[in-house]
Amino acid sequence: MLILRMLLSRVLLSIVTLFIVSLIIFSMVELLPGDVVSRMHGRMVTDEQRAIIRAALNLDTPALERYLRWLGQIVRLDFGTTLALNRPINEVLGPKISNTLILAALSFVLYLPMSLIPASIQAIRRDGVVDQGISVVTLILLSTPDFLLATLLLLTFVVFFPLLPAMSIVDHVSTFWEWVRALILPAVTLSLVMSVYAIRFLRDGLIEVLDSDYIRMAELNGLSRRTILWRHALPNALIPTLNVTALNVAYLMGGVVIVEKVVGFPGFGSLTIDAMLMLDVPLIEATVLIAASVYIVANLLADIGAILLNPRLRTMTASK
Amino acid sequence: MKISLVGDAAITKSNSWRVRYARMWRESPRSFRIGFMILLFWVVVAIVGPFLAPFGPTQIGTGIPLSGASWEHPFGIDQLGRDVFSRVIHGAHIVLLLSISATLCGLVIGSFLGLLSGYIGGWLDEIIMRVSEAMISIPFLILAMLIVAVAGPQWSGNPILVIVAVAIVYIPRTTRLARAASLDIITKDYITIARLRGEPSLSVVRREMLPNATGVLLVEFATRAGFAPVLIGSLGFLGFGMRPPTPEWGLMISEYRELIFLSPVTLAGPGISLATLVVGLNLCTEGLARMLGRSGEGVSA
Repeated sequence: MLILRMLLSRVLLSIVTLFIVSLIIFSMVELLPGDVVSRMHGRMVTDEQRAIIRAALNLDTPALERYLRWLGQIVRLDFGTTLALNRPINEVLGPKISNTLILAALSFVLYLPMSLIPASIQAIRRDGVVDQGISVVTLILLSTPDFLLATLLLLTFVVFFPLLPAMSIVDHVSTFWEWVRALILPAVTLSLVMSVYAIRFLRDGLIEVLDSDYIRMAELNGLSRRTILWRHALPNALIPTLNVTALNVAYLMGGVVIVEKVVGFPGFGSLTIDAMLMLDVPLIEATVLIAASVYIVANLLADIGAILLNPRLRTMTASK
Repeated sequence: MKISLVGDAAITKSNSWRVRYARMWRESPRSFRIGFMILLFWVVVAIVGPFLAPFGPTQIGTGIPLSGASWEHPFGIDQLGRDVFSRVIHGAHIVLLLSISATLCGLVIGSFLGLLSGYIGGWLDEIIMRVSEAMISIPFLILAMLIVAVAGPQWSGNPILVIVAVAIVYIPRTTRLARAASLDIITKDYITIARLRGEPSLSVVRREMLPNATGVLLVEFATRAGFAPVLIGSLGFLGFGMRPPTPEWGLMISEYRELIFLSPVTLAGPGISLATLVVGLNLCTEGLARMLGRSGEGVSA
C-alpha cells in the first residue's frame, strides 16, 4: 500500500514539474521585454507583417488566456501551427521524431555492451594495468566535448578511411542499407558519450558489490568468478546504473542536437535548431516541451524502477 | 582544505605558508597535480599568449590558405589565410574568461538561493525547489539555446548573453546541491544559536551557512567550471554562442569542420586545446573532491 502511494506521489510530482516547465517555456518565449515580433525580425518589419504575425500568435489576447489556450491544446497533444512553414506542428514533428527514435534506439543497443563489457573487465582486473588503461581512456573521452568527438569520428571514417557518407541525409525513399550507413556515425558517437559516463559509475558500483559480504559468501561457496559476476554482482550494480541511464536519456535529447547537426541527420535535434534560429515560437515551445518531457519521464521510470527493484528504498521517503 | 600541521608549530609565520602549501601539494593526489599543471599552462597561455602569438587572431594573409602544417604554422592556415595556431592562443583567454565568469555567476546565485531555501524552508523552499527541478528537466543545451534564441538577434554574439545563458543553466543545479548541503548544516548547534541570537536570515545564510558549505561548493565550482568550456563551445559550434571572427574554440571547430577534406589539420588546434583544458579541469575536480573527502571532517564541521 505504501509503495503504491509512493509511486502515485512520484507520478504527481512529475506532472507538477511538467506543468511548471510549460509555464517557464511560455514566459521565456512570450513575456520577455519587447514584443516577439521585433525580436524575430529586428526593426525592419512592416506594419503589415507585424499584423500577420500578431494574428498568427494571437498576440492581441492577454498572455494568461494565450497560455491557458496553449495548455489546453497540449493536453490534447496538439501543438498548433508553425510560423515559418504554416503547417500543423504535429505533421512536421512526426517524421523527425521517428527518425530520432530510430537513431536513439540504435544508440541504446550499442550503449549496453559498450558500457557493460569495459566496466566488468575493470571491476575484475581492479587496479591492474587494464583497469587503469580503461580509466584513462574514459577520462579522455569524458573530457572530449561531443561535438568534437563527432567531428573526429567524421574525420576518421569519412576522410581518412572513406567508409561512411559525410552527410547522413535520409528520407522515406532511402533504402535500408542507406539508413544503416547514415546511422552508424551518429549512433556510435551518442553511444560512446553515454557509455563513458556509465562505465565509470558501473565500475565503482560493481567493485562495491564485489566487496560485499554476500559475494564473499558466494566465493567461499566455490561459485565460479563468471557466475558471481553475471548472476550476483551485475544485477545489484544495475540499480545505481539505472539513474545514470536516465541521465543518459536526458543527455540524449541535447546530444542529438549536436550529433544531428554534425552529420546533417534530419531528426528532432535539427528541427530544434531550425526552430530556434528562425524564432518559430510555437515550434520552439513544442520542441523544448517535448525534450523536457522525455527527461521527466525517463527520471520517473528510473525512480519507479529503483523503488520496485530495491526493497530498502520502499521504506524511505520519495523526496530526493 | 585544512590539512593538519602536526609538529610544525615551531616554524615561523612567514615560512609556514610556504611549508603548508608545499605539503598540500605533496599530499595531493597525482591526478590533481597533473590537472593543475595543465590548468596552469592554459592560464599562462591566456595571459601572455596574446603578446607572444606570431600573428593576430583575425590577421589575414599570413601564408597560403589551407597549405597544411609547417614550422611557421603548426596548425595550418585557414581558408581566409589566418594562422590557426595564433587564433588558438588568442582564444585561450576568451574561453577561460567566459567559463569562469559564467560558472561564478551561476554558483553565487545558485548557492545563495539553495542555502536560503534550505534555511527558511516552507513554501519558499517548495517554490524554489519545484522551479529548479523544472529548469533541470529542460536539457541543458536546449535551455541554453532557448535563452540565446529568445534574447533576439540584437544580442547575438554578445559575450554577456553567453555568460547569462550558461549561468542560468547552472543556477538550478547549484541551487539543488546547496539546498541539500544546507539541510545537513541547519541541524548544527551554531545555526540554532545564531537563530536564537536573533540574527536575520540573510545574515545567518551568509555568515554561518556559506562558510560551512565551502567544501561542497568548491567541488561544485570545479565540476561546473570543467563543463563550462564544453557548453560554451557547443553553443558556438551550433551558432548560438560567440560570432565569427571571435577565436572561440568551439566556434573554430565548427568553422574548420567545413575544411575536413581540404585541410583537416586546422581542426587539431582548437580540438586539442579544448580537450586538454577540459581534461585538466576534470582531473583537478577529481583530485579536489578526493582531497576534500579525505579531510571532510575539517570542511563540514
